[in-house]
Amino acid sequence: MRAVLTLLAACLLAAPVRAQDSVTTFPAPGTERQVLTLDTATDLAAFEPLIRDFQRIAPDVTIRYREFVTNALFEQARGECLAERPSADLMITSSVDHLVVLSNAGCALPHRSPETLAAPGWTRWRDEVFGFTFEPAVIVYNRALLKPEEVPRTRLDLIELMREQPARFAGRIGGYDIARSGIGYLFAAFDARNALIYGRLIEGFGRTRLLTRCCSSDLIEELGKGELFIGYNILGSYAYSAQKAGAPIGIVIPHDYVLALSRGVMIPARARQPELAKRFLDYLLSQRGQRVVQQEAFFFGLNGSVPEGVEAPPGGLTSGMLRPIVIGPGLLPTQDRAKRERFLREWQNALQGAEPRGLQ
Amino acid sequence: MTPRGPSLYGRLAGVITAVLAIGALVLGWAAWIYARVAADEAYDRLLVGAALQIAESVATEPGRVTVDPPISAFETLALAKDDRIFYRVTDPGGDSLTGQDDLASARKQGRPGRDPVLADGTYRGFPVRIVTLGRYVTGPGVDGWVEVTLAQTRLARLELARDLTLKSLLLVLGMSVLALVALLLAVRVALRPLRAVQAAIAARDPKDLQPVEVEAPREVAMLVDSINHFLGRLAERVGGMERFIADAAHQIRTPLTALAAQVDLLSSETRAERRRQQMARVRERIEQLGRLTSQLLSHAMVIHRREVVQLGPVDLVPVAQAALKEAVPLSLDRDIRVVFEPAEPSLVIRGDRVSIGEVIANAVHNAIRHGAPGLLALRLSRDGEEALVEIVDDGPGIPAAEWDEVVKPFVRGGSEAAGSGLGLTIVADVVLAHGGRLDFRQEEAGPFVVSLRFPLLVPAEDTPRQTEDAA
Repeated sequence: MRAVLTLLAACLLAAPVRAQDSVTTFPAPGTERQVLTLDTATDLAAFEPLIRDFQRIAPDVTIRYREFVTNALFEQARGECLAERPSADLMITSSVDHLVVLSNAGCALPHRSPETLAAPGWTRWRDEVFGFTFEPAVIVYNRALLKPEEVPRTRLDLIELMREQPARFAGRIGGYDIARSGIGYLFAAFDARNALIYGRLIEGFGRTRLLTRCCSSDLIEELGKGELFIGYNILGSYAYSAQKAGAPIGIVIPHDYVLALSRGVMIPARARQPELAKRFLDYLLSQRGQRVVQQEAFFFGLNGSVPEGVEAPPGGLTSGMLRPIVIGPGLLPTQDRAKRERFLREWQNALQGAEPRGLQ
Repeated sequence: MTPRGPSLYGRLAGVITAVLAIGALVLGWAAWIYARVAADEAYDRLLVGAALQIAESVATEPGRVTVDPPISAFETLALAKDDRIFYRVTDPGGDSLTGQDDLASARKQGRPGRDPVLADGTYRGFPVRIVTLGRYVTGPGVDGWVEVTLAQTRLARLELARDLTLKSLLLVLGMSVLALVALLLAVRVALRPLRAVQAAIAARDPKDLQPVEVEAPREVAMLVDSINHFLGRLAERVGGMERFIADAAHQIRTPLTALAAQVDLLSSETRAERRRQQMARVRERIEQLGRLTSQLLSHAMVIHRREVVQLGPVDLVPVAQAALKEAVPLSLDRDIRVVFEPAEPSLVIRGDRVSIGEVIANAVHNAIRHGAPGLLALRLSRDGEEALVEIVDDGPGIPAAEWDEVVKPFVRGGSEAAGSGLGLTIVADVVLAHGGRLDFRQEEAGPFVVSLRFPLLVPAEDTPRQTEDAA
């Protein structure tokens, strides 16, 4: 019995360590006085410019950057909150629904400042969860493998493409593994609100045997290599970064409707350095921080500006076609366990070619 | 200088402000209670609506119950933007289907039902409003009540209640300020006639004792009337005084002139017989002058006392008896029977003992001077609510035609030249000042009666008292 308990404890203790992908430390450029720990589900490459710029303002701060997969980060944060253990100073993740669930459960510290109050209403909740980027879900394609007239500009285009040439695209269309990727699940859940299109879309995915990956980077890499022809609902910011770095990929912001996410940041209730965390949060939302976000890190602006080389809808990102993932209690049901279970089951059934249930 | 109390205006303003402030507090409290009920009602509808939406998503599959909480339910609740949401759906066996497993139901007792049950509670330390409602499901292998419990924190409710309360408080405060201003204006307007009266009095000549003529509302008109009444009495008093002084001067000058002439005659008279006659006349004149002077003083004293002496209970019987003793000289040049006839042992009136004694003595004196060849009676009796003092003599009396005249100063009954003419005036003044009445009566059989009536102080009072005749 004792052995079992010990084993269980060891597993529990080991769990967060295992979930953690990597730790990177950015030593203070000046004399170190404080250490800020960030637990993130964000590519370091994207985030690094922000850390470097912050250290120009605060040269006495060393920053520890711990990277997780979104779901692992959520599980660890939830565990720390329930156990009332001290935690990292900031949580940064694209799965804002996770942050909303944590904030709803009382696992966050509130922060009000001129910077937080200046942020758009849909990017903040309870003065606890804040969005600091604007990242549309885009369609990414390999420029060499797709003729310009074949490039799908709407979801219907993509459905048509899969219906007309199932053999050509079999195993060549990629998407997130929504069971593992929080952002993939979130985008899929929001796509599912448009039931008719969604049903036909996953039916097409099932027919062409959608290739699923845990992370944006894998998908983008395979797209660049030509192993994948088309990637659906990829985070625009990562895709653009790869395109900028020379990957032969094209990026289309869908012309029918655009899902847009604001990457979330939250101060956990038991942050060791809450004041420093607030300072970093204010920096992220400040004009200086936002300039770095838009120019060096995530490329799209909260004001709806689109970087060059991305095919945007002819009318630009108008409010009519923009479906922002509003940070608020409306995200709670996406993490409802019954709902999630049912949604994943239907997704799996559809991809395995089974007739999807509960969908037209 | 009049002692100054606190300003009427200030005091009214204070009282009104206090009343309005208390009223505003009570109203604010009531508004807060009402606002909380209203906020609860408003947000309860959203809460119940969202719970119903979740309940609608309950379905059955073979052997189990499924639930798919719709996003719209949470978006409904998200109208309370910053509030936390907790929920739980339980299957017929009581096990959680989804949501927070430790969220307690709002239904404390009884059986599950379709009707929503609302309750206040706390969840993980957060004050929450909870709703629980049930759905009966039946399908292959499942049968029973599924319960949906939905809880939401109270931030938006509190904020709405606070907002409503604040708004109604603003209204209440606005109304209070309006009422305060209106009332203070009203007080100012109401007090304006008083200032007009004050200005009218301040502006007039000190010698001017005419009634004040100011247009005033009913409430202030009473004050003006009192002032005018007072002024009237003052004018009467001053007028009487002035007339008295003029008459008295005149009355004294005439005998003095005559006396001077007689003294002149006396000094030039050589015949002894004539000298003696002249001397007798001079002495008579001097006596007359002395009487006049003493009566003038007596009158002045009575007038003075009327102004300064506080009236008190006076028993007429001993006072009249003393006055009679004083007024009847020990030696009279004729044989007069003097009778004191009190019909009551005691007759108490409200008055000035000295003045009353003086007037009774005066009246008695008058009777001896002007009549009473053989009889003088002083009778005291009670006539209803009045005490009656009668001075009776068997002389010729005053002719009825002169009754009105003799009470005026310096008018003498025609039949006798020795009086000063002031006696009955004093009597009339004092009796009037005591609220009484002076009457004359010529009885059939002959005796002339002067009657003085005073209102009795205690009409029923009847203390036994020794009485005696004065001879």
